[in-house]
Amino acid sequence: MLTLLQAQQAAPQSIMLQNGKIFLVMSVVCIVLIGLFIYVASIDKKIKQLEK
Amino acid sequence: MWFGMMILLFVSLVYSIKYLRSSSLVHDVYAQAYAAMGLIFGVLGIITGALWANFQWGSPWVGDPKQNGAAIALLIYFAYFVLRGSLVDAEKKARLSAVYNIFSFFMLFPTLWILPRLTESLHPGGQGSEGNPGINGKDMSANMRTVFYPAVIGWTLLGVWITTLKIRVQMMQLKKEGIL
Repeated sequence: MLTLLQAQQAAPQSIMLQNGKIFLVMSVVCIVLIGLFIYVASIDKKIKQLEK
Repeated sequence: MWFGMMILLFVSLVYSIKYLRSSSLVHDVYAQAYAAMGLIFGVLGIITGALWANFQWGSPWVGDPKQNGAAIALLIYFAYFVLRGSLVDAEKKARLSAVYNIFSFFMLFPTLWILPRLTESLHPGGQGSEGNPGINGKDMSANMRTVFYPAVIGWTLLGVWITTLKIRVQMMQLKKEGIL
């Protein structure tokens, strides 16, 4: 537990931690959605090739 | 993401076993697509986990046993796709990768479920506490529970849907090449 506390104190109060943690949560959501979108886009590309 | 990944990889395992029983390439296509989606979930989980760790623990990678275990598990699944890519003969590829897929699923046991429970970690639910290694079920508030479990179901269903798209493309491709 001590290490966890120390780690929390060591973390700088950057923009991500202002306003609670909503920026952090939003960036996590964005990464997940971007990742899934890239995968779907790659499937889309394959469909396009098949259509030709 | 991790819950969804485990479910998708388990489905992949089921189709690999089905392939070995039936030798039908359709099952191989299913197993491959589910493994791919599971791997994508895992990669997204580790990236977002590192981002979160950067602000919570002060560094994107603190060498936490759970992070390391997850990374090893993902590398083992990457090897599945390396194996698939390196074989040309469809029959041989399907058979070997089905066997390897079963092996890599069982590697999830030590890397994700056993070793993290044996060591102390920055994650909640470390050594000495009961329950899941990633989250501490008893620590979760009722509010968080109502968000967390529907989110697990939602992400998993989204993953399954994308996987079915991939399967349909793959099947069309195989039909076009005259393999199926």
